[in-house]
Amino acid sequence: MTIDDATLMAFADGELTPEERAEIERALSEDAGLRQKLSAHQKLRAQLSGAYDPVLEEPAPERLLLAAQGARREAEVVDLSARRAARWSVREWGAMAASLAGGLIIGFGAMNAQAPLIAVTADGMNARGALEQALDTQLAADEPGAVRIGLSFRAHDGGYCRTFELTERATAGVACREDGVWSVAMTAAQPQQGDLRMAGAPAEVLSAVQTMIAGEPLDAEAEAQARDAGWVRAPD
Amino acid sequence: MTRESEKIRSEIVAALPRLRRFARALTGQPADADDIVQIAVERALTRLDQFEPGTRLESWLMTIVRNAWIDEARARQRRAKVFADAELGEQVGDGGEAAAQAKLEVNEVYAAMQSLPDEQREAIALVCVEGLAYREASEVLGVPIGTLTSRLARGREALQRMLGDAP
Repeated sequence: MTIDDATLMAFADGELTPEERAEIERALSEDAGLRQKLSAHQKLRAQLSGAYDPVLEEPAPERLLLAAQGARREAEVVDLSARRAARWSVREWGAMAASLAGGLIIGFGAMNAQAPLIAVTADGMNARGALEQALDTQLAADEPGAVRIGLSFRAHDGGYCRTFELTERATAGVACREDGVWSVAMTAAQPQQGDLRMAGAPAEVLSAVQTMIAGEPLDAEAEAQARDAGWVRAPD
Repeated sequence: MTRESEKIRSEIVAALPRLRRFARALTGQPADADDIVQIAVERALTRLDQFEPGTRLESWLMTIVRNAWIDEARARQRRAKVFADAELGEQVGDGGEAAAQAKLEVNEVYAAMQSLPDEQREAIALVCVEGLAYREASEVLGVPIGTLTSRLARGREALQRMLGDAP
């Protein structure tokens, strides 16, 4: 019997019934030409596997894990090229925040309807309410409420900065003490639920800290001293 | 969040490797592939009510990935065919002649796939890369099985011609 190309292809794709398969296998045993066609199908499958299967071994990028958790970055723009910027400097964050002021006002405006935690001002974003209070008084070791405090550190200009997490809003960020207010340098999505909850701050926050920090983060004692001193810029 | 939607989220996470592979086969570009997977995952989460329990979540997600790529490609008025850009080179890695040869072969496959018409490439990606059954693949693409198999046959023939050893 003759086996047409479509049937052979279906065989190669595992689409046939056991009876049909048996028939093809019989034909294959008798027809070298058919065997050659089948091996071309199999070779192509192997080539495709060789090219694409390694993707399965790659760890999924964090942004996809975040997306699957339903976390959205406050400062994410629609432009795809911006999604690729894995590591942004604080300067770039600032520039982006400025260019996105409209979107951020809307975003934080929605938050502000209940309890303002971040206010957009002409100078940038400032901590308000529970966030401001936590940045003022809460220590990393304290039991977190609406705000969890992470690292406290000195920036290159000598001022104090602290990382925070808004526990009910899946948002983390960095704020720095400037002229008596906590200026929010950046925010990023914080994964919240499931086994994938990250320990500590999102990569964007840590990346920002790395660009901002001078020396080491404050230890618990230095953190408490700085708080008691009102986060006043320490003399050099 | 309901227990059910939490379960779906963890299933989406589990499906990410395959979604990324499928997207890589469609787009030929690692960064593009992850972009459309991200868009698709975000869309899927807003449309969980459209998922029919009992059907395969992966097939449903692949439908969304495929549609996201169509939208994206249209928005860009078809991306230029760049076969072996720096990013791909990084993904494949380097180190020695064998690796260089492997990289060359991978690039050949990517290039051959990208040269196919979209309808053939997506059929090949679903059946030959992702291993979907004809019926599942035809549902993802929204075409009859006969249409799927004729696209598959033409795509295969073209790929074999481009990638085969024979002249």
